[in-house]
Amino acid sequence: MADLQVEICGVKFKNPVIAASGTFGFGREYDLLYDISVLGGISTKGMTLEPRLGNPVPRIAEGSSVILNSVGLQNPGVEHFIERDLLFLRKKGVAVIANVAGRTLEDYGNICARLDGLVDMIELNISCPNVRAGGMALGIRPENIEEVTRLCKKNLATTPLIVKLSPNVESISVNAKAAENGGADCISLINTLTGMVIDIERRKPLLANNTGGVSGAGIKPIAVRMVYEASHAVKIPVIGMGGITCGEDAIEFMMAGARAVQVGTANFTDGNAMPKIIDGIDKWLDKHNIKSVNDIVDTLTLN
Amino acid sequence: MKDLTATVKSNEKIAENIYMITLSLPEDAGEIHGGQFVNLSTGSGENLLRRPLGVCIANGRDVSVCYQVKGKGTRYLSEVGSGRELQVLLPLGNWFDLEKYKSVAVVGGGVGIFPLIATIREFSGKKDFYSYIGFRNKNAVCLLDELSGSKRLTVTTDDGSYGKKGNAVEAFFSDAENINADAIIACGPPVMLKALKAKLAEEGVKTPCFVSLEERMGCGMGACLVCVCKTSDGGNARVCRDGPVFDITEVQL
Repeated sequence: MADLQVEICGVKFKNPVIAASGTFGFGREYDLLYDISVLGGISTKGMTLEPRLGNPVPRIAEGSSVILNSVGLQNPGVEHFIERDLLFLRKKGVAVIANVAGRTLEDYGNICARLDGLVDMIELNISCPNVRAGGMALGIRPENIEEVTRLCKKNLATTPLIVKLSPNVESISVNAKAAENGGADCISLINTLTGMVIDIERRKPLLANNTGGVSGAGIKPIAVRMVYEASHAVKIPVIGMGGITCGEDAIEFMMAGARAVQVGTANFTDGNAMPKIIDGIDKWLDKHNIKSVNDIVDTLTLN
Repeated sequence: MKDLTATVKSNEKIAENIYMITLSLPEDAGEIHGGQFVNLSTGSGENLLRRPLGVCIANGRDVSVCYQVKGKGTRYLSEVGSGRELQVLLPLGNWFDLEKYKSVAVVGGGVGIFPLIATIREFSGKKDFYSYIGFRNKNAVCLLDELSGSKRLTVTTDDGSYGKKGNAVEAFFSDAENINADAIIACGPPVMLKALKAKLAEEGVKTPCFVSLEERMGCGMGACLVCVCKTSDGGNARVCRDGPVFDITEVQL
């Protein structure tokens, strides 16, 4: 049994495996399948100040080794989370990361202020590809990333801020640096890639929103490359994600520079994916006689 | 709810493009009610999404679901042989709760008949079922034996190639006065459910009517908010967890 505990911005995670935002709700449903307190952390469903209904259906489609989603930030609003779900997650003893989004810059600042001190970390969703106003618009240009990050930091007295980066950009290194310059305590990547699936019989996109975010095993090499580039562009810690399905995949991201990982789509393929990934990391470390998972972070040697 | 590695006991074609797969579970998954569904892996690495399929027959640790071959995932599923292992999450969703009713009209169309069959089996001998089942044509007709628990069974086809020419909704309404049902349960293509809802409203029928809905799903357990339907008050309901069975007056079809 290797030491799996990691610490990011002073927040302790019992292992480096975190549920990715959007695939795990607020943890209640998966807790019926297994005790979610085994997880390192949970990044909540993306929240906004007001409840949102999201996009029309179909909201999900499939490609080879990938899925596409366009939920469009359906969520019950931040107050509902604070009243109903926060205590539940607290009692579970997992690190709670509140994933937040907004329509305007002010929205981002206000939701950060509301959650400051209530959760372990806040993850800024400035890269949601499925919402026209806000979201992605703020997450593409480095100057916008820096601006929204700086504003959110001003509204946070204690809670560390993660900026979640979009891969649909010109330079991931430049954008990672922009988040760091804006005062981010941590970055996470990658959010989904924008894609489209066409129903050729109807000559129409399968998703009601036409496009959606591509995730799953098929995007992993892109994600690993971007995590490598981003983590070498900044000094702040990096949380990696994109297509992780097993312990070895998580190890790969950590070798590329990630201090922890998030798991999303794999939860759909196997309800017990995350406990299996944690076990897989442990077994790999034991097999290689490595005492702490932290010892593999950023240990890649380029050819 | 459990995520189990099941063994395929059989996987047979039961009508044109329609298959029934029977899974043998390694352990008890708890009681399974008619209307509930499973989220079944296709067993192919490149199809990441599971397929939500309504339980048709639950018999101890053997669970049978039926599917129509439509795309890559279901085609792959149709080629899975006995003895193969598939991951399955079950039982999921709510069910047709008929405890307080005595006489139930069953309106089913095409691949929508399977959860209705499970419901008739569950309450077999305890309720009177009057079933109105529609298929596209005679090649699509299947599992009529499983509906034999009905007090009366009317089968229709769109082209008249089997049973009565017409559809299940018409067949039900032409017989409705004779049967005095105190509940209606329905599952079928959206066009059928829409027609049913419109006709119930038009005729001012007050009999409670419960419909099982279908939607493309992600997690199958209510976490990902992918499979929503619109409720009558303009909100969203999760088909996988708040449903798949809804009061027909509470959802927009």
